[in-house]
Amino acid sequence: MCKSIFSRKQLGIPYILFLFLFVIAPLFVIVFFAFTNGEGQFTMKNLTGFFTDSNTLGTLAYSFGIAIVTTCVCLLLAYPVAYILARSHMKMKSVVIMIFVMPMWINFTLRITALKEILTVIEGNLAFYPFMNTVIGMTYDFLPFMILPIYTTLMKLDNSLLEAANDLGASGRQTFFHVTLPLSMPGVVSGISMVFLPAMTNYVVLDMLYNSTYIMGSLIGSYFSAYNWNGGSMIALILLLIICIFTLATNRVADEDAGNRGGALL
Amino acid sequence: MRRFVICILAALFLCIGSVSSFPVLAKQEDEHTDSGKEETVVLRVCSWEEYIDLGDWEEDERIELDNGETILGINPMVTDFEEWYYETYGIRVQVQYSCFGTNEDLYNMLTLGDTYDLVCPSDYMIMKLMMEGSLIPYSEEFYDTENAYNYYINGVSPYIKNAFEENRINGESWSKYAAGYMWGVTGILYNPEEVTRTEAQSWEILNNPRFAKQVTMKDNVRDSYFAALGILRKEQLLDQEFIASENYHQGLSSIMNDVSPEAVADVQDILQDIKDNVYSFETDSGKADMISGKVLANYQWSGDAVYAMDQAEEEDFYLNFSVPQECTNLWFDGWVMLKDGIGTDAAKQHAAEAFVNFLSRPDNVVRNMYYIGYTSVISGGEDDTVYEYANWCYSAGDEDTETVEYPLGYFFSGDNEDERYIMTAPVDQTERQLFAQYPSEDVIRRSAIMQYFDDDANARINQMWINVRCYNIKDVPIEIWIFAGILLIGVAGTVAAGKLRSY
Repeated sequence: MCKSIFSRKQLGIPYILFLFLFVIAPLFVIVFFAFTNGEGQFTMKNLTGFFTDSNTLGTLAYSFGIAIVTTCVCLLLAYPVAYILARSHMKMKSVVIMIFVMPMWINFTLRITALKEILTVIEGNLAFYPFMNTVIGMTYDFLPFMILPIYTTLMKLDNSLLEAANDLGASGRQTFFHVTLPLSMPGVVSGISMVFLPAMTNYVVLDMLYNSTYIMGSLIGSYFSAYNWNGGSMIALILLLIICIFTLATNRVADEDAGNRGGALL
Repeated sequence: MRRFVICILAALFLCIGSVSSFPVLAKQEDEHTDSGKEETVVLRVCSWEEYIDLGDWEEDERIELDNGETILGINPMVTDFEEWYYETYGIRVQVQYSCFGTNEDLYNMLTLGDTYDLVCPSDYMIMKLMMEGSLIPYSEEFYDTENAYNYYINGVSPYIKNAFEENRINGESWSKYAAGYMWGVTGILYNPEEVTRTEAQSWEILNNPRFAKQVTMKDNVRDSYFAALGILRKEQLLDQEFIASENYHQGLSSIMNDVSPEAVADVQDILQDIKDNVYSFETDSGKADMISGKVLANYQWSGDAVYAMDQAEEEDFYLNFSVPQECTNLWFDGWVMLKDGIGTDAAKQHAAEAFVNFLSRPDNVVRNMYYIGYTSVISGGEDDTVYEYANWCYSAGDEDTETVEYPLGYFFSGDNEDERYIMTAPVDQTERQLFAQYPSEDVIRRSAIMQYFDDDANARINQMWINVRCYNIKDVPIEIWIFAGILLIGVAGTVAAGKLRSY
């Protein structure tokens, strides 16, 4: 009998050290900076400052705006594609999926540079439509992250459920809205969180497409380059909290949905 | 138990392995490993990216000057220095050369604990470091004009030398702590087919609606602040009486360094206009956008303008450079030695000073200028190699019919009438590379150095910059608020309905 010389617990140690050094410790540093001022004294000023300044709040709103629109566009584009792909019986399905995923194999700055040239040809001058360009850029970037989870859940969907709905007299539309869509919600939710969260902070896309308005990511950067570590940390912390709340909420919706519908159906 | 220990050791080893890939720690290790054999001085240099000749020139890039000097960069400048230092002083030196992206990055690197011996920040960062007392003054030996190896003090342009002596902070002049490297002015790079020279000679081109979305702005607060201040104080700056007045230069400097709350508030309004008018805020992409014709004008540093003009010419496309009539920002990058790095290590300080001198040797100056496109602070003193290089680059050839006398004496000898330094140049060069590389004396007259601001003023202009770049929540249109409200109610309703149904 072959027995590993290390127990399972021992094998976890390198990761725990890594976790502590590069995840937990920096988090404490952020929290420390967020609640202190330049001299290291405790202050709530960074927190109240964020929520009383119309510019930081505006940035938050703008980031939300970009993220929400991008997520909606991605969802509207991705769901039909994933649905058609999952339902079809074509032989080349994996090839088609690969075509959708392939852009991810190319470095994303390179892709955005190419997109910039294409958009310049179409629009003439990029600078007139900064918001739209940003949404296009982000959609281009994050679309695969929306397609894949939806496609996977739809693939796993039990065909017999659809047949049952059919036998019981549901029309195609009814089947979709009462069976397929609810059952694919976990995929949709994970797709949303994979698109929404990076879309709030990925300022490289804005920079490269000449949108000179800050979003959360660039705002943090600008605080840091002005040596204001404390203000920047507070924004990072607030962003972290928003992401936490968002993730918890979506997970809950997904769980409940899966629980409810699953319970009702099976 | 032993396995447990092995595991911890392995984990620590992994962590240390990854930590030591950070430059600082790794460097310190190197230093110790070398000390065993022959004594080697380790010099940690940090400078801008692409800011030193890396050698490897093609044979046809050989520069053959009229004074008989031929220049070809074969090895990287740093390697050549190491060899030269050993041959000259018999001591081995190892240069660890690293780069930074912006002055703020460098400052952050230094405060976060990176140690360097010799760094090359810009004027205001030098002032900041001087204020904070983190610099070591150059030794007296460095300023000894008798020593032939002191290429810096023997070769530095009288004009620059003067500027470094006149500018004081805390009662001490820059020249005590800093040796210049490159210098330049800021201006407008423009496409002469679409933009007139008069339009390009005002900072107002940036908020000129005629060029809506066809000009670019610099993406940093200091450069942007300067240009906006130029627009704000335009009338005063162009007032003939003011220009003719005796203390014009002092007045100019105080106007262009005005960071009072009122000035900052006015500048914010102007920058907001500019933000709506420009194509982009950029640091690097402006050059490419000029060459590809996406934009017609571009707020640019003189050295980058030279680079862009050279690149455009290769595609038979001509760009010009102008300096606004109101004023221009004169800037320098200079070598300073850090207390944290050098400390009391005399051997190290000697190597650092020798490095600056080596870069100031006329043939090396030409190599660096050729490679990076900026203008060195070195004029060469008795050695005419640098002036010959300018001649080689820009003076009129036989095929040029329209020529003009272009005096450069202010830079090369301190006397603009000096006949040795009056170049006969093609007329168009006075609006192109020659003008960008060596601006005429009238440009120098209207130039101001942007000072280092204290923490309060710094915080004020940084906050102003953030305000300009952020989307103000008051600008959110009412429809969006209504839409967001409906969306929120919709989501809440769906969740609640789902909950109700499950009971």
